[in-house]
Amino acid sequence: MRTRWSRGEPDVSVVIPVVERHGDLAQLYGEFAAELARLGLTAEFIFVVDEHLRGAVPALREIQPLPEQPIDVVLLGGPFGESAALTTGFHRARAERIVTLASYFQVEPSGLGAALQALDEGADLVAGRRHPRIDSWFNRLQTRLFHGIVRQLTRTPFHDLSCGFKVMRRRVARELSLYGGLHRFIPLLALHRGFAVREIPLPQRREDCATRYFGTPTYVGRLLDILNVFFLTKFTRTPLRFFGLLGAGLFSLGFGIDLVAVLEKVFFATGLSDRAVLLLGVLLMVLGVQTLSLGLIGEIIIFTHARHVRDYRIAEVIKNPPRPELELVERKDYERVRNLR
Amino acid sequence: MDVTIVVPLYNEEESVEMLYREVSAAAGSLRRSWELLLIDDGSTDGTAGKLREICALDPRVRALRFRRNYGQTAALQAGFDHAEGQVVITLDGDLQNDPGDFGLLLDTLDQGYDVVSGWRRDRKDRLLSRRVPSIAANWLIGALTGVRIHDNGCTLKAYRAEVVKRARLYAEMHRFLTPMMSLSGSRWHEVAVHHRPRRFGRSKYGISRIWKVFLDLLAVKMLLGFTLRPAKWFAALSVPFLIGTLLAFAASVYVDLTVAPGHRYPLVFPAITLLFAFAFTHLLIVGLFSELVVRTGDFRPGETAISSLSEGRS
Repeated sequence: MRTRWSRGEPDVSVVIPVVERHGDLAQLYGEFAAELARLGLTAEFIFVVDEHLRGAVPALREIQPLPEQPIDVVLLGGPFGESAALTTGFHRARAERIVTLASYFQVEPSGLGAALQALDEGADLVAGRRHPRIDSWFNRLQTRLFHGIVRQLTRTPFHDLSCGFKVMRRRVARELSLYGGLHRFIPLLALHRGFAVREIPLPQRREDCATRYFGTPTYVGRLLDILNVFFLTKFTRTPLRFFGLLGAGLFSLGFGIDLVAVLEKVFFATGLSDRAVLLLGVLLMVLGVQTLSLGLIGEIIIFTHARHVRDYRIAEVIKNPPRPELELVERKDYERVRNLR
Repeated sequence: MDVTIVVPLYNEEESVEMLYREVSAAAGSLRRSWELLLIDDGSTDGTAGKLREICALDPRVRALRFRRNYGQTAALQAGFDHAEGQVVITLDGDLQNDPGDFGLLLDTLDQGYDVVSGWRRDRKDRLLSRRVPSIAANWLIGALTGVRIHDNGCTLKAYRAEVVKRARLYAEMHRFLTPMMSLSGSRWHEVAVHHRPRRFGRSKYGISRIWKVFLDLLAVKMLLGFTLRPAKWFAALSVPFLIGTLLAFAASVYVDLTVAPGHRYPLVFPAITLLFAFAFTHLLIVGLFSELVVRTGDFRPGETAISSLSEGRS
């Protein structure tokens, strides 16, 4: 049945970044490929292997692919991590619909149909949420804490960003620019870009249940990621609001402390020079000014590049005759048109 | 195309049809060719459906629909980007601006201005919640930027397209459009326009968080100040810290001279000297660094003025 491949494009591209556990790759492929076949869909599976796990490649070569679910293996040239692996996979994907999976079992393949259907109902990206969860209370506590902070800071509704299962349209995948730890925030970034994002619950697999203890560096890294996303989604165009508020806060705190110290000197004759608190106040004021000045620099950077900054994304151009031109003007196209003029 | 009329809309389902009728009547009497460009800023009501109906009826009307709500600056920016007219007129989608003022705006623009800004002299809004904050904000903007206009918040404005297409808009700069444009060398003027009470819905673009406006204003103030020499601007900012350094240093010397023999010399004033000196040098260095940023960017003072003079006017 090669017919449906005639346009050179499968129904679904499945991108699997192999950056950590990879013991069950053959079984993972087997179950998801079978589920796709059961849904009557053709698919290409793209395994993107990070360099430090090149040992996974021979195992992948041994898998006997199903007739309409071929396997494509890409080996990255260095230990570039999950964001780079996903980006590579997205660029090779030929189908309109892209599924991403973790390199081990997180959720049951049976959820695929529901996720693809949500896409057909108008969502641009469907994020899986492992629910109900069957793993240890410690894992669940970590997840809750992490997502509680993220939800509060970014005012978004997601419960399980670390779930690798996502289904999205190709244009979403192409528009995301992922680096560092940003792969963990794909639903959030897509939402910020104005795409329709849905979260759907998927039953968790037993293989996913190993309790995860991470070292301190991991947690610090996660916190930095959260800060990064918070800044990226809120303040990239208004750096002075972020640094300015922070700086003004620090400055007023320091100023207040010193004011109190001076008043005490005047009214109660407490010697100023005996007090370390005076130093603290001065330090805070200085820090405040430094933070604020960085915000000003940020503002200058935005301003001097603002001619090419386009914040909006157009979903549709309506004109007479009423033929909607979807995604007509993307930023790059727009700039090209502008340069031609 | 002579005139493009740009209208940002956010949940204006009830008013958009009447808006279209009023605008087309007013624009039709101008004896210039015109188009209407409606920007749907991520409305969640039936605005998009209404837009389809209107666009299907009238080929002079186009609409852009945003993926989500991006705010008024982005909506205006999109309108400017897609405008085909030589003159761009912007107005609010809530029918509070009067399309009958188009003629006045265009005539004033023809007297040799790049931006003509409307002034709602007889404003029909609530006094305490809208008008008083607005008067204070406009006074502050005028005092800080030197562009003394009465009504920065009025969307009803006319621009020469070549100026507005080069404008640098981002974040929520729609509050400071005229000052920002004067920054690139535009000649601006203000005319009194009509203002009508709200008929449908409620106000959406209010001054919600005052601190944001203050910090944005600080940014505009700085951008206006730095057009020529950012290093100088930051150097001026560092002067108080230089004074602080000198005072603290003097205090340290004084303490050093007067400390009684056998007593411990308190380190507080030398430490303060150091901290202030840090801030002072930091600001000087940041100033130099910002020179670098400006030089590598594409901003040149008076960028639009030069082009509009060389291209002449119609």
